[in-house]
Amino acid sequence: MGDPIHQFEIKKFFTLGHLGPYEIAFTNSALFMLIAFAIVALLMLVPTRQRALVPGRLQSIAELSYEFIASTIRSSAGNEGMRFFPLVFSLFMFILVVNLLGLLPYAFTVTSHIIVTVALALLVFFTVVIYGFYKHGLRFLRLFVPSGIPIYILPLVTAIEVMSFLSRPISHSVRLFANMLAGHITLKVFAGFVTMLGGAGILGWFGAVLPLGLTVALTALELLVAVLQAYVFAILTCIYLNDALHPGH
Amino acid sequence: MARGFRLSTELVGGVLLGAALGWLLDRWLGSSPWGLIVLVLLGFAGGVLNVMRTAGVMSSGGPKGPN
Repeated sequence: MGDPIHQFEIKKFFTLGHLGPYEIAFTNSALFMLIAFAIVALLMLVPTRQRALVPGRLQSIAELSYEFIASTIRSSAGNEGMRFFPLVFSLFMFILVVNLLGLLPYAFTVTSHIIVTVALALLVFFTVVIYGFYKHGLRFLRLFVPSGIPIYILPLVTAIEVMSFLSRPISHSVRLFANMLAGHITLKVFAGFVTMLGGAGILGWFGAVLPLGLTVALTALELLVAVLQAYVFAILTCIYLNDALHPGH
Repeated sequence: MARGFRLSTELVGGVLLGAALGWLLDRWLGSSPWGLIVLVLLGFAGGVLNVMRTAGVMSSGGPKGPN
């Protein structure tokens, strides 16, 4: 039976250079990020070049994804949130394409490595912190001081609010990472059962039908998870950005 | 499952952050084990707060008092 973890192995293709003691290498992870970038760029640039009044199929995809993210931002962060549209849209499209690419056989899932999702979540986190302080100055800290709380428990509530704020990038990144990792391992394990049972003779062939059916069903589920997690990442980004835009409640 | 998973990561994230911060604080200040104890509890409370917000028990915009 194949090793279900093997699919997450980073393979080095060639070395780009050295940064201090660290080697900067072009890996399969970088390759799939580049592929995802190319797909997103092609999907957005090519169909919109014609600017047809009645959109074709590809132009519809581009327009629908624009409308989808735009309405998500407007509903959760208000109209001011639209200045972060490029950020949220890039994050959503990148994660979506990377997740979907990972479902193809022999493909590498970039988001199944926590370092990638942590980098994305920290990008959002620091955007919130820096923009919050830039826009509101020290009033941004009022985010941690809820109104209507008696003064004697205010220090405790503020400390809890700070912890709640600081733990956001953890849950933000772990959710995407763990969903992709767990889904892909489950898929691999059930697919491995098929070959194991298939090798056990004629009775095994009948037994192998069950995990095979499950693998098909799990692939459909993984498709849902891939899209859903990209959406969840985008909507949480909007909710966090809302705090930077309106910290006072 | 997705919903339960979301809630559990919020809680675990809070506790892990509290533990990490407390451990670092103890190492810097030599106040072991008090930083760890206090910050794990605070992290747990922060995680519960995040869980309640995610679950929609409280308004997602943050606390608005005891209603």
